[in-house]
Amino acid sequence: MDYFRKYLGANQGGIQPSGAETVERLVDRVQSSTLLDDRRDAVRALKAMSKKFRLEVGTQAMDILVKTLEMDRSDAEITGYCLDTLCNIMSNQPSEDDDESNIPSNEAEDLGTQFAEIFTKNQDNISLLLSLLEEYDFHVRWPTVKLLTILLMNRGKELQEVILVSPMGVSKLMDLLSDSREIIRNDALLLLTQLTKNNTNLQKIVAFENAFERLLDIVRDEGNSDGGIVVEDCLILLTNLLKNNTSNQNFFRESSYIQRLTPYFDLESEHTSSQVGWSAQKVTNIHLMLTLVRCLVSPNNPQQQSTACQRTMFQCGLLQQLSKILMASGVPADVLTETINTVSEVIRGNLQNQEYFASVMAPSNPPRPAIVVLLMSMVNEKQPFTLRCAVLYCFQSFLYKNEVGQSQIVQTLLPTSSDANTISAGQLLCGGLFSGDSLSNWFASVALLHAIMGNEQQKEQLLRVQLATSLGSPPVSLLQQCCNILAQGGKVQTRIGLLMLLCGWMMDCPIAVAHFLANSANIPYLITQVSASDNDENESIVQGLCAFSLGISVLFNDDSNETFNKVSLRQIIEKRIGLENFTDKLTQVPKTESYTRAAKKPHLHYKQPNEVIFDHEFTKAFKLLETDALKAVSSEAVIKEHQAKMASMQEHEKVVKQYKDLIEEQDQRLNESQNQLLQLQSKHSMAQQELKQLQELVQQLKDQNALLKVQKGTVVNHVPDTKMEAEVKSLRTDIENLRLQNAEKDSRIEKLASNSWFLQTDLTLAETRVLNQSEEDKENNPSESAVLQTTISRLQSDLQELRQTVAEKDNEISRINTQNSDALKQIEDLNQRLSSSSENLPGPEEVQKLIEEKMTLQERVKKSNEESLKNLDKYNKCEEEKGKLAEEKKEVQEELETLKKEQEDLLVLLADQDTKIEKYKAKLKEAGVQMEDEDEDDLLDDDDIDDVDDDAED
Amino acid sequence: MSYAYLFKYIIIGDTGVGKSCLLLQFTDKRFQPVHDLTIGVEFGARMITIDGKQIKLQIWDTAGQESFRSITRSYYRGAAGALLVYDITRRDTFNHLTTWLEDARQHSNSNMVIMLIGNKSDLEARRDVKKEEGEAFAREHGLIFMETSAKTAANVEEAFINTAKEIYQKIQDGVFDINNEANGIKIGPQHSPSNPNMPSPAGGGSQGGGCC
Repeated sequence: MDYFRKYLGANQGGIQPSGAETVERLVDRVQSSTLLDDRRDAVRALKAMSKKFRLEVGTQAMDILVKTLEMDRSDAEITGYCLDTLCNIMSNQPSEDDDESNIPSNEAEDLGTQFAEIFTKNQDNISLLLSLLEEYDFHVRWPTVKLLTILLMNRGKELQEVILVSPMGVSKLMDLLSDSREIIRNDALLLLTQLTKNNTNLQKIVAFENAFERLLDIVRDEGNSDGGIVVEDCLILLTNLLKNNTSNQNFFRESSYIQRLTPYFDLESEHTSSQVGWSAQKVTNIHLMLTLVRCLVSPNNPQQQSTACQRTMFQCGLLQQLSKILMASGVPADVLTETINTVSEVIRGNLQNQEYFASVMAPSNPPRPAIVVLLMSMVNEKQPFTLRCAVLYCFQSFLYKNEVGQSQIVQTLLPTSSDANTISAGQLLCGGLFSGDSLSNWFASVALLHAIMGNEQQKEQLLRVQLATSLGSPPVSLLQQCCNILAQGGKVQTRIGLLMLLCGWMMDCPIAVAHFLANSANIPYLITQVSASDNDENESIVQGLCAFSLGISVLFNDDSNETFNKVSLRQIIEKRIGLENFTDKLTQVPKTESYTRAAKKPHLHYKQPNEVIFDHEFTKAFKLLETDALKAVSSEAVIKEHQAKMASMQEHEKVVKQYKDLIEEQDQRLNESQNQLLQLQSKHSMAQQELKQLQELVQQLKDQNALLKVQKGTVVNHVPDTKMEAEVKSLRTDIENLRLQNAEKDSRIEKLASNSWFLQTDLTLAETRVLNQSEEDKENNPSESAVLQTTISRLQSDLQELRQTVAEKDNEISRINTQNSDALKQIEDLNQRLSSSSENLPGPEEVQKLIEEKMTLQERVKKSNEESLKNLDKYNKCEEEKGKLAEEKKEVQEELETLKKEQEDLLVLLADQDTKIEKYKAKLKEAGVQMEDEDEDDLLDDDDIDDVDDDAED
Repeated sequence: MSYAYLFKYIIIGDTGVGKSCLLLQFTDKRFQPVHDLTIGVEFGARMITIDGKQIKLQIWDTAGQESFRSITRSYYRGAAGALLVYDITRRDTFNHLTTWLEDARQHSNSNMVIMLIGNKSDLEARRDVKKEEGEAFAREHGLIFMETSAKTAANVEEAFINTAKEIYQKIQDGVFDINNEANGIKIGPQHSPSNPNMPSPAGGGSQGGGCC
């Protein structure tokens, strides 16, 4: 120290060596000294200067200090000094002699961060520090922990990354928790808290290294909430590890650590002994314990995770302990508030926990439900603001997804259950709704809103509530009273609360809308509100909510009110407010800061009463319906669509009901038929038994039968068989005959056809001949007519013959037909006999054969039928041909007639000519000419006739 | 909720081999066909029974991606058992086994039981690594081997339980120091000393070991 004094003393002197110079000299000494003692002294001096001359020491000595850490590691003392010095230059904590320092604190902060940055840049430095942790010496280990903590505070992210990837890094840090020296363990807690800040991976590794177990052990060993700051540090670290880390929460729950939290809230035993009250540390500890619980059941966690934790908390009695604190006396208000918030999240959306909470009774006289006692605080102006917020949160959480709870609350408002002597939740809420305190109004409105949120049945129930406002005046409905208060003006908070309640009430509830519209003063009020212009933000929220109410009363309007049906409301809005203005007012609402704040999370996190504007659930509903409401007002089509939707919904419900009825009916029928089935089954089994007996009987009979058959011999079986065969044989021969006859007929028909053809050709020949003859000159041919006549007569005889054959054929065909039908009959008989014989004859093969034969026979008969049909056809054709031939013959005869006439004429002519020829001959003879021509003419004529004959024969 | 022992497991292996699916099949008895990349490490737990004793398995399912390798290394030391998984339809995942094994051996305690698992045995048609190869690798490196299917649940139970059996056997043989929690083994609450304020677990440990 003398050495150091010398320099300080010199400062006052004339030749003032500056801090920088001193540091330089010391650094030089550390670097150059060969003796460890000298180096140690120099480092010690540096340490002493490091607080006052941070900049100088930091800039000049950092490298050499790190080098010394590496070189002189074996000496714990110098290592310790080095580490202390580094701590001093990087720490931003104001030192004890801070007032001496003339460096502004913000600059100091910056300095520490800069040095930390420089130090961290070299990753080896961090590895060096981590390896130094292995040194057991207190002078090394403790400052190392401190230095790492400081580095983490200054360069958290970088250091986290380095430690994350350095092997065994976290393990080494975790081992510090087992250090028997408490100061190291406690500082290790701070170090781990810094380490795990906002780093999920490190949180998981720390948890993997048994952090939960060790921390919970420390808390228990330190006396739970009565413990000191170490408990606080442990709880902070635990919260760090669990907050928003689903994997760790899962690990925490799976390892049954939630059960270990229960004793934290067992405050009764020790509370009776110490009446002094709660120490500040205890309040802090309990707060952190509650925060820890809330981490596990936060509404921001995955639903599944929270639900599992909630279940465990009920099973291990944690919820019960918390409920006890709620009802205990002497609990500080802020602890109570946080406890209420915690209970809220433990019961939120979990029916079992909600039911338990509803059953909790306050130890008052007479005992009242805890809910009632809490609501009393909520609507009490004198209670702390945060407590009142917490109660509302608790009430909301109790009703969240809890239809039973909702109906219980609404029930207390209905006239039937009103009991003047006991205070009910409903009474308190009504009182709050109409009290002079605007915050109470808001709380009560939102509480009521949650009692009917998403529950149409309760919305309708709440419409039944009537209020006696003053003696003598008729009762007013709750809904109308809300409107009345709204119209009276009052504070913004009151009006916003009531508007949210009204909007929530009318959503999805056309009856409530109709009820609202029944008072003709309500719509004009809303209209004037929306059309007003006010620049105040809260007033514009009121206007926006009024617009929203209008939109909802259009959207869920069932047109039961004639004055304010959808169409007229739309017209009123358009006329009085204007669509643009309406849209502006409505869309203004979600843009406000209070809206976004409330929309973030269900917990009411407010510091000032005037911050309370929106309810979380309402913001969700608003978001859902905003555009629909806007569309409902702006376009008719949407209304229609909505109407259609509503109608279809109703129809849907009807259909569903129908189906339900149907299902019921079917159920009944099913039951009946099941009974029937049972009966039938029993009958069936009986019948089966009978059947079995019968089968046995049959078997016996069969056996007997077989025996008898054997006795009778095989003859019985054979006789009908042979008969059958013979019959079949005869049938076959019959069919064969028929076929032959058919063939015969075919050939005959063929012949006839050819004959007719010949006839035709004859005819044509004759015709041509006749034609030839007619065309021929007047040459005489006496034999021709004779020839023609013979052909005609031949043709006639042919025709005669044809007719006869056709007639014969006719007869034959009819005969064949009858034969056919006979054959068919025979086959029929045979079939019958076959079938009867098959009945008699059990031999299946024979029957099969017979059937086959029968089939073939039938086929043959069919064929012969077809053939005869064909023959008939042919016959018909022949007859047609015959007709034609007859006609032709007629024509030919006519022609013949004319030819004959011509011939006669010709003969006359010939006779004339003959006479002329005679004359000419005579004249020629007279003239003396020879008669040769005559012979020639005769010869020619003969040849001609021969030709014609030849032709005819062809 | 009480248990005789608590074993810590880790599941390691290349990305996409089905580590998370194996865990999900073991803890929840269901299969998720969509590959949901594990970030860092995920936790799962289940109770099993061996030799009539309740044993709690705490399982850390690690990310297979290379970028998470340095993080996942931190989990080796505290684990009593490791499931080293490869995909029988992807040879590269089998080829990387050596690297994984070196890593595990380097950072874990020497007694850690390693079970080699060839997963996706349901995809026989796409098989790329023969069962015999897996068996040979396991024999060579002293591992237990099994082929599993996280999809059909075939052998999944067996893989986790057989590993536990091996650890249990090592405890019986006195190989594991059950009082050192860094080994990934913890004696259950009913086996630990009745006085919770006694910090040294040595007495309780021997007591617990004695009665088993």
